[in-house]
Amino acid sequence: MHENLVTVSGGKSGSMKTTGTQTGGVQPSGGGKEHFDIVIVGGGIAGATVAKTVIEQAATRSPARHPRILILEAGRATAMSADKYDTYVQSYQQALAKVPNSPYPPTVSAPQPDVLDISRPVMGEDGTTKIPADNGYFVQMGPLPFGSDYARALGGTTLHWLGTCLRLLPNDFRMDTEYGRGVDWPITYDELKPYYERAEWDIIGVSADVGHQYYPGIGGDPAKYFKSKNTGKFPDGVYHFPMEEIPSSFLDEYLAKKSAGLVVTLKGDLGREYTFPIKISNTPVGRNSTPTPGYQPVGAVGNADQGQRCEGNSSCIPICPVQAKYNALKTLYELIVKYPDREPREGEKEKARVAVRSQCMASNVEHTQLPKKQGTVTGITYLKYSDDGSPPVRATVTADVYVLAANAIENATLLLASKAANSSGEVGRNLMDHPLLLTWGLLEDNAGAYRGPGSTSGIPAFRDGPHRSERTAFRVEIGNWGWNFPENAPYDTVHDLVGGAGTGTAQLYGRALRKRLGEILPNQFRIAWELEQDPEPTNRVTIDERYKDSLGMYRPVIHYDLSEYVRASLPWAAEASRQLFERLGIGAEVRRPEYKPGDYTHWDANDPSAVTYDGQTYWVRGAGHVVGTHRMGEDPEHSVVDGYQRSHDLPNLFIVGCGSMPTLGTSNPTLTMTALAIRTGDHIAAQLPTHTAAQPKEKKDA
Amino acid sequence: MTTTELSNRSDPIVVFTDLSVELTGYDRVELAGTGLIEQHYDTLLRLIGEREAGHLLQAAAEALDADRKNHNGEALRTRVIESKLYGPVIISLIKLWYLGSWYPLPGSYADVNGSTAGDVEHVVSAQAYREGLVWSAAGAHPMGAKAPGWGSWAEAPALPSA
Ligand SMILES: Cc1cc2nc3c(=O)[nH]c(=O)nc-3n(C[C@H](O)[C@H](O)[C@H](O)COP(=O)(O)OP(=O)(O)OC[C@H]3O[C@@H](n4cnc5c(N)ncnc54)[C@H](O)[C@@H]3O)c2cc1C
Ligand code: SF4
Repeated sequence: MHENLVTVSGGKSGSMKTTGTQTGGVQPSGGGKEHFDIVIVGGGIAGATVAKTVIEQAATRSPARHPRILILEAGRATAMSADKYDTYVQSYQQALAKVPNSPYPPTVSAPQPDVLDISRPVMGEDGTTKIPADNGYFVQMGPLPFGSDYARALGGTTLHWLGTCLRLLPNDFRMDTEYGRGVDWPITYDELKPYYERAEWDIIGVSADVGHQYYPGIGGDPAKYFKSKNTGKFPDGVYHFPMEEIPSSFLDEYLAKKSAGLVVTLKGDLGREYTFPIKISNTPVGRNSTPTPGYQPVGAVGNADQGQRCEGNSSCIPICPVQAKYNALKTLYELIVKYPDREPREGEKEKARVAVRSQCMASNVEHTQLPKKQGTVTGITYLKYSDDGSPPVRATVTADVYVLAANAIENATLLLASKAANSSGEVGRNLMDHPLLLTWGLLEDNAGAYRGPGSTSGIPAFRDGPHRSERTAFRVEIGNWGWNFPENAPYDTVHDLVGGAGTGTAQLYGRALRKRLGEILPNQFRIAWELEQDPEPTNRVTIDERYKDSLGMYRPVIHYDLSEYVRASLPWAAEASRQLFERLGIGAEVRRPEYKPGDYTHWDANDPSAVTYDGQTYWVRGAGHVVGTHRMGEDPEHSVVDGYQRSHDLPNLFIVGCGSMPTLGTSNPTLTMTALAIRTGDHIAAQLPTHTAAQPKEKKDA
Repeated sequence: MTTTELSNRSDPIVVFTDLSVELTGYDRVELAGTGLIEQHYDTLLRLIGEREAGHLLQAAAEALDADRKNHNGEALRTRVIESKLYGPVIISLIKLWYLGSWYPLPGSYADVNGSTAGDVEHVVSAQAYREGLVWSAAGAHPMGAKAPGWGSWAEAPALPSA
C-alpha cells in the first residue's frame, strides 16, 4: 500500500510549511524492516498501559510469552531523571503565560496545540467557515474553537493533567437505553469494574475514600457501587483505594459548612422541577498520599524517594515538581528499567523487551485494506527527525500486533492520512470534551485560596438523574487556586490594586498594598461546571492537503460546536451557581477592579469561546478531555473499534485511548480509558502468537 | 550587606533597598530573605537605563531622608510616587517585587526617556517568580515552588503579620 505513503520530499512539498532548520527531504533508512511482537504508536498513558499489561499478562501464560515491544514517540524524550525533570519545572517558573504546555516546549517537527492559540474562525451567514482560525497547530473550522490542548512529548498529556480519577456512573454506559440520548456502550459498568480496580492500583495509583463518594445514580450506597469481585484482594468485596484520600482543602470544608442542607431547585422543560441536594464530595485522584496496606506509592522517575506524597506545590497543572502526581513517565520508566531492549545476559531469565524511540513521528499505517473490506496492517512507517538541519529518516517497522495510542485527535489524523480502519466513516467524528463554565466569587472570609492541589472536592449531584433526557449532566469541580483560571490572578489582582494604568501613579503600595492583597486573594474562589458533551457526527477531526506541518504531517482540521442538548445546561449551571453563591452570602454582583464579597461571574461576548443560549452569553473553556474520534461499538457500520478497541476493519490493529469512548459521561476520561487499555492489554496478551519477535517463525514482510 | 553598608545611606543599593521597603511593605530583613535585592537593582538599571535609575535613586534618597525627619511618607509620595517622571517606574518596580515579572513602561514615558531592548513583559528569573511577594501576602506559597507540605491546605489559613 505504498501509494498511501505521505510524500514529504519532491514535488508534493509545495503545500508544506518549511520552518526553521527543516530541509523537507526524507532519507530512507537502509536495510530491511525491523520486526517486533507489538509496535505501539504514542508514549503516553494509553500506550504505556497496554505495554505493561501485555508484558505482565503474557508472562503468566503457559508457556510464558515475553514479547518484544517498540514504542514510537513523536515528541522529545522528556526527563527520565530527577535533575533533568527540574529543568522543566524551571521552564514553567520562567514562563510568562503559565499555560498547560508551558513547561514542555514543542519541537519544530512535532508541533502541539496550545490554549494560547485559541481564536475564533470567521463564519459565513450560511453557517460555513469563511476564514478558519489556523494560527496555532489546529485548524479551527468552527463555529466554536475546540478549546483543549495536549502535549507531544514522551509521557504525553498526563505530564500536565490534574489527575482527577472518577469512574463513570452505571448509566453513563447506557445513555440511549436510559435517556434516549447518545449511544450505549458495548460494555457495562460491571464489566469494566475489575479493570477500573487495576487502573487505580496497578497503573495510576489513586487516592480516595469509598465512603466519601456521594454520587447520584448508584442507589445511594458507594460501597455497593465500588463492591469488588476480587474477594481474594478485598475480603467480602469491600473495596478500598490503594491510598487514603487527599485531605479536602480548608476551602472545601468552608463551603461544605456554609452550604449544609442546601437543595438546588432547577426548572426543566414543561415546568418540571428538579431538585439536587448539595453534598461536597472528596475527589479520587492520581496523586500520592498515605498508602493503604499492600500498596507502595510510586515516586519520581529516577528518584523514587521524591514524590511519595503530595506536598502541596499547587502546580499540578502544568507540572508537579516532585511527581507526587501520576504521569505516564512513571509507567514508561518502570518498563525500560525492568525490560531493557537487549538479549538476556548470562544467567538472566528471558523476559520481555521494551524499546522506546522518541522523535519518531508515525506517518502512515501500511495496510492491505480495500474499501469496505477487511485487511491487515503490514507495517508502521515513521519519520525519525533530529531538528539539527539534517533531513528526517523514514523507516517502516512490522509487528504481529499494532497499537495506535497517539491521543484521540492524532489517532484520527493518522488513520485518515493512511486511509485505514474507516469503513464506517466514523473516524474523526463524535469529537467530545467537557465544555466548562466557570463561575467565581469573593468570599466573606479567608478560605485559604492558592494552597494545595488544583482541586480536592466536587459536587456530584448533577452527574445523573432524569434531567439527562432533556439536558446534559454536569460535574462540579471546586478550585483551590483562587481566580487563577478565570481572572489570571494573582497577577491581575496586583494590577488592579497597584493601578495607575492611565495616570502613571501607583494607587496602593507599601503596607497598605500588602494588607489589601491579604484580604482579597485568600477569599477568592471559583467553580468549574463541566458539561457532558454528547456525540455528534458533525463535531469532527478531518485532514486537508492545504494544512500540513513541517514534517508534512496533516494538521488536525476541527469542526466543533455545542448541541442544543449541551447548551440547555448552561442556564442550569449558571442558576445552580447563583443559588449556591446566594447561600454563601455572596449573591451580589460585583466587578473588578472593585473588591468586596460578591459574585464576580461574567461572560463577555467578545471571548473566542462565547456561546449564546436563550439570549444570554456564556463562555466555555476546554477541559483537556479529548474524546470520541474512533468510537467503540458492536456494529462495524457505526463504530471504528469493538469492545476490545480492536479495529473492525484491520483485526491486527488496536486503536486505544479516549477516542474509543462512545459517550463521555461526567468523569474526566483518563481513568476509564486506562481501564479500557488494560482490558485491551489482556486481550492482546491472550492472543499473541506463540513465537517471539527475536526469533520469528515466519517471515512477515509486506 | 554589612552594617557599615547599611548605614551608608547614599550607597545606591541601600537607597534601592530603602525605597523597596516603602514600596512593598516588607521590611529590610524580609526583602533580604528573598535574595533578590541585587538582582532587582540590576534589573532596574538594565531596564530603565543607568542614568534614569541614578536620577530616580537620587530623588528617592532625598525624599526618604525628608520622610525620616518628618516621620511620614509624604515626600516619597509627592516627589517620587506621584512624579510624572518616576511614577511609572515605581509601578513596574512594585510589580517586579510582587510578581517577579517586569511590566514595560508606558509609551508616554518612553517618548520622553527612550526605552531599552529589555523593556517588554517578561518573567525576570525563576527565582524572581518564586520569591514574588504576592504569594506570602496571600498567606500562600508560589505555585510550583516552596511546597508547604502534606495536608497543609486543609489547615486554617494564616497571614504572616504585615
Ligand atoms: C490541562 C489538562 C488537564 C487534564 N486533567 C485531567 C484529569 O484531571 N483527569 C483526567 O482523567 N484527564 C485529564 N486530562 C486528560 C488526559 O491528559 C488525557 O486523557 C490523557 O493524557 C490521554 O492519554 P493518551 O495516552 O491517550 O494520550 P497522550 O497523553 O496525549 O499521549 C499521546 C502520546 O502520543 C504521542 N504521539 C502523538 N502523535 C504521534 C505520532 N504521530 N507518532 C508517534 N507518537 C505520537 C504524543 O507525543 C504523546 O506522547 C487533562 C488534560 C489536560 C490538557
Ligand atoms: S499539589 Fe503539588 S505536590 Fe501535590 S500533586 Fe499538585 S503539584 Fe504535586
